[in-house]
Amino acid sequence: MPPSPDMTDVVPTGGAAPLGRLLTARAGAAGWLDRAVTEAGLRAPPFEEVRFSSAFSSAARRLGKGPVALTEEERRALGRDCIDWPLDGWGVDELGRAALLLEAFRALAPEPAAALLARCYARADNRERQAVLRSLPLLPDGRRFLALAVDACRSSVQTVFEAIACENPFPAREFADASFHQMVLKSMFNGVALRRIVGLERRRTPELARMATDYAAERRAAGRAVPADIDLVLSGTGTGTGTEP
Amino acid sequence: MKLFDPHIHMTSRTTDDYKAMAAAGIRAIIEPAFWLGQPRTHVGTFEDYFAALLGWERFRASQFGITHLCTIGLNPKEANDPHLAAGVLEMMPRYLEKDGVVAVGEIGFDDQTPAEEKAFAAQLELARRFELPVLVHTPHRDKKRGTERTIALVREQRFPEERVLVDHNNEETLPVTLASGCWAGHSIYPDTKMDEARMVALVKKYGVERMIINSAADWGVSDPLKVPKTVAEMRKAGIRERDIETLVWDNPIAFFGQTGRIAPADFADAHYDQSQLFEGNSVLRGQAPERR
Repeated sequence: MPPSPDMTDVVPTGGAAPLGRLLTARAGAAGWLDRAVTEAGLRAPPFEEVRFSSAFSSAARRLGKGPVALTEEERRALGRDCIDWPLDGWGVDELGRAALLLEAFRALAPEPAAALLARCYARADNRERQAVLRSLPLLPDGRRFLALAVDACRSSVQTVFEAIACENPFPAREFADASFHQMVLKSMFNGVALRRIVGLERRRTPELARMATDYAAERRAAGRAVPADIDLVLSGTGTGTGTEP
Repeated sequence: MKLFDPHIHMTSRTTDDYKAMAAAGIRAIIEPAFWLGQPRTHVGTFEDYFAALLGWERFRASQFGITHLCTIGLNPKEANDPHLAAGVLEMMPRYLEKDGVVAVGEIGFDDQTPAEEKAFAAQLELARRFELPVLVHTPHRDKKRGTERTIALVREQRFPEERVLVDHNNEETLPVTLASGCWAGHSIYPDTKMDEARMVALVKKYGVERMIINSAADWGVSDPLKVPKTVAEMRKAGIRERDIETLVWDNPIAFFGQTGRIAPADFADAHYDQSQLFEGNSVLRGQAPERR
């Protein structure tokens, strides 16, 4: 059973448009998305996957890796499009890659689009993986990628882990309790501030509180510090959810 | 002096090696895609191997303040497996635009078979299409002939010679390589290939123009500190600091930066901070993060 809906459960309706608008407003990024979409055949078939991959992969060299640096007006506009979680940690390259991936989902049938995403992720470097993971909450029927998202939590590359665990509504929206709990524990273990986990408050359970209590005891027994924000999970007062499908 | 080791297979090395390399002044490395000591039998294994070069290994190196770049290619040994070769060549275009991919390599000859030549030529074409230099492995057996065939093939394909790094040179092959427009790499090894004293003699005789040294350290008996050790020997032998710096820093950046994938400014501030990334399954296991 999926978690009960709330604001972050509403998949943004605008598809690729909000991200495309943000990207186009970035210095030096103006024509990039339009060119990439056209060259990959996403406007007029046939779809050219190698061209898509080239644009997706070279985005950092073409757009840079600087922070997206949103203006207040842009933040408000995103909120109106139901993107109510922070995009401030994204790089311009990640914004470009996410926007391009969303365009592919707009143009391709669901099955080929899903297969494209899987190949994109399998052959990705760290920053490309981050972009794919940040795109998940924006995709139509994103829960198809639950297994990929759960697997991403097993990454030992901190930035990849953070791309799914932090400032991303997907886990709270889609993960079953067991996966969500593991993600929260790994966040504590890796020094990630728990306030960065979107929707944590409504996914707290007695079981998660029990795990956090055990973790705190283990840290104390080893003479190590307990994360200062552990209180955020010690009270198991959220609604929780069911088991993984 | 900042050092660059432009040929080292870090997936086979430990964090102790990374620590020692950083302490010895190594700030940047290139990990060429090669074979792993035994043949792979599935195309998919390469997918995971390339992902490790582009992802996990880059992250591991960054925790020791070392910039990790890589080359992507089908090595000559595995080019002899027709099923594997076709699959890997077909997959390569998806990797050649990626960040930190600075060349096609290692390609070239091993047994000097027709299959190796075919894969070599196909990858020169990929390098041309994606505007990349190439890193060429030269064979252990029949080495001089293999080096000559390498240069002949580059010319036949009309690939720009200045974008070719012919690696693992020795006293016999170096004149052949330098007589072409190609750059000359030297792998300093504990027993085979080239050692520090011989390298000093080669630098004295040929200078440092188009010359590069590396450790080529891998899963065999090899030494990831051979670049700093050779620098020490060059100093003892009275080779000028400026020439040493050209050899172990400026030249690799100039060669691999020819088509704009890297530039000197990329390496201006090699910083080092493990604190961003600690514990869990990362390379630190509960130690205090170091900063420098």
